[in-house]
Amino acid sequence: MTLALNNLTIYRHGEPLLSIDVTVPPGQVVAVMGPSGAGKSTLLDAICGQLSDPFSYSGDIILNDQRMNTVAAHRRNMGILYQDALLFEHMTVGENIAFALPRHVHAKTTAAERHEQIAEQLSSVGLADLQDRAVQTLSGGQQARVALLRTLAAQPAAVLLDEPFARLDAARKDQLRHWVFDTIVQRGLPALMVTHDPNDAQAAGGPVIEV
Amino acid sequence: MLRFPVIALAVRWIFISVLSLPIIAGVVGVMLPAFGYFPALGQDTFSLSVFAELWQVEGIGRMAWLSFFTGVTATGLAALLAIALLATFYQHSGLHTLQRLLSPLLVLPHAAAAIALLFILAPSGWAARIGAMITGDVLTPQWALPYDPHGVAVILALALKELPFIFLMALSVLTQPQLQTRLHKHIKCAQAMGYATVTAFIKVALPIIYPHLRLPVLAVLAYATANVEIPLLLGPNNPPTLAVVVLQWFNHVDLSMRFQASAAAVLQLLVTLAALASWWLAEQIVASWAKRMRLSGQRNQLSSVIQVFAWTGALLFVITGVLMLTSLVVWSVATYWTFPALLPEGVTLLHWQTALTALTQPLITTLVLGIAVSLVAVTVALLALEAEAGFMSKRTARWQQWDKIAVNITLYLPLLVPGVAFLFGLVWFQQRWLAGSVITHVFVSHLIYVLPYVFISLAVAYRRLDPRYMKVASGLSKSPWQVFWQVKLPMLFGPVLIAMALGMAISFSQYLPTLLSGGGRITTVTTEAVAVAAGSSQRLSAVYVLVQVMLPLSGFALAWYLPGRFFNPAARAKRRQKRIAANDTGT
Repeated sequence: MTLALNNLTIYRHGEPLLSIDVTVPPGQVVAVMGPSGAGKSTLLDAICGQLSDPFSYSGDIILNDQRMNTVAAHRRNMGILYQDALLFEHMTVGENIAFALPRHVHAKTTAAERHEQIAEQLSSVGLADLQDRAVQTLSGGQQARVALLRTLAAQPAAVLLDEPFARLDAARKDQLRHWVFDTIVQRGLPALMVTHDPNDAQAAGGPVIEV
Repeated sequence: MLRFPVIALAVRWIFISVLSLPIIAGVVGVMLPAFGYFPALGQDTFSLSVFAELWQVEGIGRMAWLSFFTGVTATGLAALLAIALLATFYQHSGLHTLQRLLSPLLVLPHAAAAIALLFILAPSGWAARIGAMITGDVLTPQWALPYDPHGVAVILALALKELPFIFLMALSVLTQPQLQTRLHKHIKCAQAMGYATVTAFIKVALPIIYPHLRLPVLAVLAYATANVEIPLLLGPNNPPTLAVVVLQWFNHVDLSMRFQASAAAVLQLLVTLAALASWWLAEQIVASWAKRMRLSGQRNQLSSVIQVFAWTGALLFVITGVLMLTSLVVWSVATYWTFPALLPEGVTLLHWQTALTALTQPLITTLVLGIAVSLVAVTVALLALEAEAGFMSKRTARWQQWDKIAVNITLYLPLLVPGVAFLFGLVWFQQRWLAGSVITHVFVSHLIYVLPYVFISLAVAYRRLDPRYMKVASGLSKSPWQVFWQVKLPMLFGPVLIAMALGMAISFSQYLPTLLSGGGRITTVTTEAVAVAAGSSQRLSAVYVLVQVMLPLSGFALAWYLPGRFFNPAARAKRRQKRIAANDTGT
């Protein structure tokens, strides 16, 4: 799985804002660094198909040799993680993950099996017994881990990260950062992270692009 | 298969047409006979003769003036008091108490407020009884109120209804997340320069929030100048306000009165326009004066005046509210009650039994109509908002701007065009061109009034949703329909229920639309309450009004209770813990 951005330029009111040309191979995290207001989040919006006026873009978004430019957002198969976990509060922890499971997984498994799978995933990241809890009762670090599990449960072809660790305190940041990057690398997913924290970029271990 | 975003877009256009077409048709249907064209009565040429005859009607100028004067005075009073209350209580712990006290009055039907006020002001009301206790009179006094020639009672009732609306509208503007923090900082900044809290609010915060309030205030003003049920119940009779006389003429047995009625309806439209224009002019004058005042450098300007006004107003308001409610309850169970005794001789449930038996059918009609109208309104409003967030956000800026203008105009059209000026025309159109039963006509005319409020109430919550939730869901490969149905709707469950309750409350309170579109064949609790109030039994009337009060409040109680039960794992867990704790202590 490879994510390629070929001469991608973002415009605001028709004025060029930032340009990027990069190929992200499987299992690599590319960091895009830049000050706030540089259009980093807008870049991710463009890649996952959520760009809205006054922004526009030119260039090509290629995922696994397929041009994504005209594909609807929900068919692009690109998971996204923000600095807030954004877990759905009307669902429990387990329901949040079950919600993300693709149709074909639902078709092949029974509810009990899915429950079992989710329990295993949760305990593998140290969150055993939290499956039926309300998401608001989890700590910030726990929520962040559930958010990544949820993103991965949808079996994405690529992952986009928008300042994913900005809200965490220094100690927890380090811990979570390594776990997130390791997991992405293990799964062999291409990932693009925008951040203004040089430590994030360094920990990602991939190329760093300044915009 | 039709895709969800396409359906949403279609509904947005249906939303615009549902609001604008009936009103345009209605105004045309009133204009034609006003200019002498009404083929059904053998008139098929245009002329100004109807207007010429209208000028000849005795007291027509006085009627127009009464409508203008009562509407403008009541709105002015309510707006000033609302601003004074905000300035005084904005950073005061009393703000939430005030909010809780005023909110129920917002959903009180106009007719109910008028009848309740009648109970206090009437010669047999508590005000007169207390007065008689002091002076020692045994005969009921000859009050000037209600039915006074200048419409003071009408002004009081209108202001009573408008104050909560303007106040709560302003509060919802003030609590918009970004605006709130900005205003807090502005006021703190001004306070640091030595400005008194109230003065700081007037000089710094008010200029920022007033533009957001202008449209709601103008809508209230337009409504006040053309309201029918309040002057009908409390207003002068000789002559009455213009809106009341329009209703009388339209319902006159002599069908040729229709011409005069239509011309008077057009005049009503002009009166409302004149009121709106005067308000705008007054705004300009106040703004230029305020600009000079703002830079005078005085730190305590108006501070004490505003505080005294606010406290007096709030106190009077609370006393009136409490008196209204208690006198309704007491009258509804009263047996023999002589003047000037403060309490009746005994208590009986007879009036409740009589009234509830008579009200069974109207109650069912009211509920079915209210629920159906609100369901449709909430669905249409949600899809229209969905189209704005989905389809429209991908269009060019110019497209979006046109769309926004179209929605805003149609949203305020039913609130700005007086009911008496278009409902008769609409009814004529419905009867002439559209088949269908009376109930569908009533349904449409209720929908016109319910839809804007439901839309405005939902739009606030809808636009406040963090868009990143939708992006996350999209990234989990959920289609726009799935995102809407499985993410947005459950997240908006509370606001949707509030909008439902609001829609039902507005449908319950409709008097004129029910009366006209129903042709007198559809009776609701509100039309019955007005009919009974005009009759003789004060006790029966009290029961009717109390039912009118309870209906919308029970809707809001449900809207407040249900979100804790559904789509809320956090509350579920809390309840489970409580149960376990209770069991533990029990054993």
